[in-house]
Amino acid sequence: MLDFSILTDNFGTYLTGFGKTAYASVLALAGSFLLGTLLAVFRITPVKPLQWIGTAYVEFIRNIPLLLVVYLFFLGLPSIGVVLSPFACGTLGLTVYTAAFIAEAVRAGILSVPKGQMEAARSSGLSYGATMRLVILPQAVKIVIPPLNNQFINLIKNSSILSVISGFDLMFYADRIASNTYVVFSTYIFAGMFYLLLTLPLSYATGWLERRLARNY
Amino acid sequence: MISFRGVEKHYGSFHVLKDINLAVHQGEVVVVVGPSGSGKSTLLRCINRLETITSGELTVNEVRVNDKKTDINKLRRDIGMVFQHFNLYPHKKVIENITLAPIKVLGVSKQEAEETALFYLEKVGIRDKAQAYPSQLSGGQQQRVAIARGLAMKPKIMLFDEPTSALDPEMVGEVLDVMKTLAREGMTMVVVTHEMGFAREVADRVVFMDQGRILEEATPAEFFANPREERARAFLSRLIRH
Repeated sequence: MLDFSILTDNFGTYLTGFGKTAYASVLALAGSFLLGTLLAVFRITPVKPLQWIGTAYVEFIRNIPLLLVVYLFFLGLPSIGVVLSPFACGTLGLTVYTAAFIAEAVRAGILSVPKGQMEAARSSGLSYGATMRLVILPQAVKIVIPPLNNQFINLIKNSSILSVISGFDLMFYADRIASNTYVVFSTYIFAGMFYLLLTLPLSYATGWLERRLARNY
Repeated sequence: MISFRGVEKHYGSFHVLKDINLAVHQGEVVVVVGPSGSGKSTLLRCINRLETITSGELTVNEVRVNDKKTDINKLRRDIGMVFQHFNLYPHKKVIENITLAPIKVLGVSKQEAEETALFYLEKVGIRDKAQAYPSQLSGGQQQRVAIARGLAMKPKIMLFDEPTSALDPEMVGEVLDVMKTLAREGMTMVVVTHEMGFAREVADRVVFMDQGRILEEATPAEFFANPREERARAFLSRLIRH
């Protein structure tokens, strides 16, 4: 059934794609987490213009297909004279897209921190920003870990969008192997296994983090 | 130190504070009593601008609290606050709860802040809990940490918003004892509470509020023995009956 020669013969190719996918995922993961957290804070600050920016971003990006967001970078940027590599476009698109979802998860987390925490910190003279950074976000992160895990898994799987714009990721190489060997089923099964190599440890790591943070308080 | 002059506050169409005039002087302990919803917590929370006022004038140390030019973070350094539900930071140890603001707001060194923290923990009688997390403490202990957290900023005024209302009855005493010590040492305190015993024993003045107004302001001796206002008499008689 499974043709293991596909894996052994093309191991280097798989590995190259796997490396790119992992690289794109790590970059997009870090980027979307920072951007998403910033957007979440924008959405809940008392400053109206920031709220508008945050809301507009989330509502716009969240409600269009990922492929369109990637095209925005891949096809849109060249039209204004900025040409980036397909890999960069894909990773940027992935970051921008995922940030909208992460913003919503983080915002929910921030809102679930009791109001008294903000009041206690502010009444001790801490600024809004310092209170967010030192008191609210550390508590929100704990609440947000499970939904963030979902978003990060989605992000890793969504990174297959790079193959559409020849971003040399795992899926791109799987397509290439399939078209070279005509062994379609096994090729993609092995590709799937490489994705699992990324997603399963991530779930395990976040589960561990969740338990660890739960232990303290 | 604190002065309300004709202060009004509305929440939409709800008139929470009506023509509040009140002066609290240095070293005074003012206890605010009254039925639920009478506006006493709101009055307290206006002092450090957790609530904003609609009109009138409110000054703390001669600084207008609601003035746009007022650096509220600076003003708040001098005003400690203790809440009904403690509001300790659950992700930080007791000692970190206390040192956070001194380090980040006053710029005190970590070592000095920890020494100060231990001094106040000793004062509230739970120095041995410095390395514990708030969730490992009883309600009474948590509230004492909250008081130590407020004191560590060396404030000029301490505000207490129903500090014993969320406590089991047997833990009320330990918190009140700390507050009494503080009062005797000359701290300026504004206390919203239902603890009439505390008011009677410690207050320099009792302020009675109902429906957003200050109806009576008197020494505890006068207030408890012979309240002038009918509404205050009814309030006190209900307390005694239960």
